[in-house]
Amino acid sequence: MGQADMGGSTEPTEDERGFAGALSPTGSVLHRIFQPRVWEDGERNAVLNELFFEGPDWRPFLYRFATLIVLSTTIAALGLISNSAAVVIGAMLVAPLMTPILAVAAALVHGQLDRLWVSTAVLVGGTVAAIASGWVISRLAPGTLTATELTPELLGRTAPSLLDLGVAIAAGLAGGYVLTHPRAGSSLPGVAIAVALVPPLATVGIALELGATSAAQGALLLFTTNFVAIVLSAMTIMLVSGFVPSDRRLMVKGRLRVGFAVALLATLGVAVPLTWHTIDVVSDQGFAREVISAVRQWDPAGRIIELEADVGESRASVRLVVASSRTPVPAWRLAELLAQGREIPVDVEVQYRLEQRDEATAD
Amino acid sequence: MQRFLRALTIATAIALAATACTPEATEEIGSESIVRVFGNHRGADAAAFRAVLDEFTRQTGIETSYVGTAAFASRIRERVSDGDPPDVALFPQPAVLGEMARSGFLVAPGDEVVTAVEQGYADWAIDLATIDGEIYGPWFRLSVKSLVWYPPPVFAARGYEVPATWDELEALTEQMVRDGFTPWCLGMESFGATGWVGTDWIEDLVLRLHGPAVYDQWVSGEIPFTDERIREAFAEFGEISLEPGQVAGGRRAILSVPVLAAIDPMFADPPGCLLTRQASFQEGNLPEDVKIGPEGDVDVFVLPSMDADNVPLLASGEIAAALTDSTEARALLAYLASPQSGVPWAAVGGYNSPHMGFDPAAYGSDFERRLGGLVQSAEVVRFDGSDQMLPAVGTGTFWRGMIDYVSGVPLDRVLSDIQAGYPEDAS
Repeated sequence: MGQADMGGSTEPTEDERGFAGALSPTGSVLHRIFQPRVWEDGERNAVLNELFFEGPDWRPFLYRFATLIVLSTTIAALGLISNSAAVVIGAMLVAPLMTPILAVAAALVHGQLDRLWVSTAVLVGGTVAAIASGWVISRLAPGTLTATELTPELLGRTAPSLLDLGVAIAAGLAGGYVLTHPRAGSSLPGVAIAVALVPPLATVGIALELGATSAAQGALLLFTTNFVAIVLSAMTIMLVSGFVPSDRRLMVKGRLRVGFAVALLATLGVAVPLTWHTIDVVSDQGFAREVISAVRQWDPAGRIIELEADVGESRASVRLVVASSRTPVPAWRLAELLAQGREIPVDVEVQYRLEQRDEATAD
Repeated sequence: MQRFLRALTIATAIALAATACTPEATEEIGSESIVRVFGNHRGADAAAFRAVLDEFTRQTGIETSYVGTAAFASRIRERVSDGDPPDVALFPQPAVLGEMARSGFLVAPGDEVVTAVEQGYADWAIDLATIDGEIYGPWFRLSVKSLVWYPPPVFAARGYEVPATWDELEALTEQMVRDGFTPWCLGMESFGATGWVGTDWIEDLVLRLHGPAVYDQWVSGEIPFTDERIREAFAEFGEISLEPGQVAGGRRAILSVPVLAAIDPMFADPPGCLLTRQASFQEGNLPEDVKIGPEGDVDVFVLPSMDADNVPLLASGEIAAALTDSTEARALLAYLASPQSGVPWAAVGGYNSPHMGFDPAAYGSDFERRLGGLVQSAEVVRFDGSDQMLPAVGTGTFWRGMIDYVSGVPLDRVLSDIQAGYPEDAS
């Protein structure tokens, strides 16, 4: 973050109490947390310069961004394919995507359309480059990865839920806070890890290359969730921390409202599919509990080793690995138990593992 | 359709009236009037069969429940010996039907059903459903087994021709190997029924190498597995399944890939294989978005014969029979014996009716109409042999023998082990 050049103090103005001050009594709490204050122009510009690709240095800026995008996605894609969480986290720390996203938020709160378009273009370009890098790595990487057998690291990024939205909102708040409170700068890597942007994009590229369309859609939804939630929460922080000068706020009041409304609607928009996913997960978990109790009734001697339970709209399916010391009980009896009182048919696949104890002594 | 519905309603009414008068029948109805049906259809096939049962319920008001299992032959025996028989079962193996009938576990379906079967089906189909002079129920579905699935776009791009003879098929697979392809996809894994895909191959080859007369004698047990002619069929299958480079994934894949998923590599890019021999019911289990037909992603040709003018067709299907004596079970059999009972399944594909009165217009696709035509025009149609053999062999040592053969057990051992399933050889 840019080092603020603290100028001479001025008389306290409405700006000093900032946006938060208007929100009494909550205002006083927010006031303490965000310490809204007067931002010197130089200080503010130093922060903004870190975000926007402007001035004589924009070319090296862009090259650095492009290089880091390709490298971080490459690291992320390799980590995802080899199922190494540590490598994926490494990629998150190299990833530069947080900058254009915070830039979009800053452009929105300042009502600066030209900066908004440039940042959006950089972001879209970065997104496409990241997906393409993931695709290329997946094509080049040796191995036996297929559309139906993704690694757990990949799978973990294909089914976002409301929890991911919660993480993204909190991380966006943290990102905005770090940006507007330069002394908290050391926590930025944590933000980048909490709300990873590059691994979901790498997942989109890999999934597309493998032809796993629905996995690609899920990963893209995760990225979109992170993006809109960060923009919304960073905008909120920038407004309450006094980062935006009050005269600027008044001048672009209309744009600011539109920008905030769009960010809010986009967040609500991604919340809809996330809610569906969450309901799916919750109903699958409920079904899994039913399966567990049905298995006890079906084969009291059986011990569940693996269980996959999935409830869809038109059918439910169960994959089960059971260890048992006695003759296997037919799967159809379990299917029949589970189908009772259910509108949809249930498919059951059971794999029995024979467990037998044996002892011996010799001398 | 209107006329058919009326005829059916009358038929069902008669069937219900005829049986409702008898005192045993009224006792059987009890509080639970759900007909419990047991079969081997699972997944998409079970959903299609459910639509058939729902139509039955809509027309008669009789509720049904259905359970399908991968290991029908052994499960039905368990259920019967546990004293928990289903009301109606769909038998894929006429031999198991025969075993159950002779042991007294089946219930005669009544004159209504018998007449419907006699009038609606071809002689060979009636014969298979007749045990010791008694007809036990209707055929419900017919699958054509001697089909080879292939991708027309790849054939067109490479200039491959659909082979008309066995020699042409061999020349084609050699060409494929030279072009860097693996010709065949083959998977036999099918839970408790693993091995049946191999038995289908042997049956098709016995029919093609030695004709229907030898086939019938072999199926009835007169010609043993150890006969040189049967050995020849196994050896021919070995040329495909045991030779490196012939089957995608090799022997390991044959033993571990589920039967109906074996075709999947054909649609990869580049294709993992260009041929797979599988029955018409593969249609209901193709990957999503795969289109069938000469212009589509996949099409079929009949497995060629050594003699191009005499191409026999292997078929399979299920016979419905009652295991409990109830009006509702008989009503279901009467419904399944009616010409159009398969319409809901035909509409979604993967179904051919064995009923001679089935209207081909009810098929959901040209593909089924084509298969229907194949059965009609074939000179020789034979039912799946292993399903007719003594169950200890047909669903026992023959299935296991195919697994052994692919696993690398010497052929002579395999053949004598299979033959040992017959009681006279058991000593």
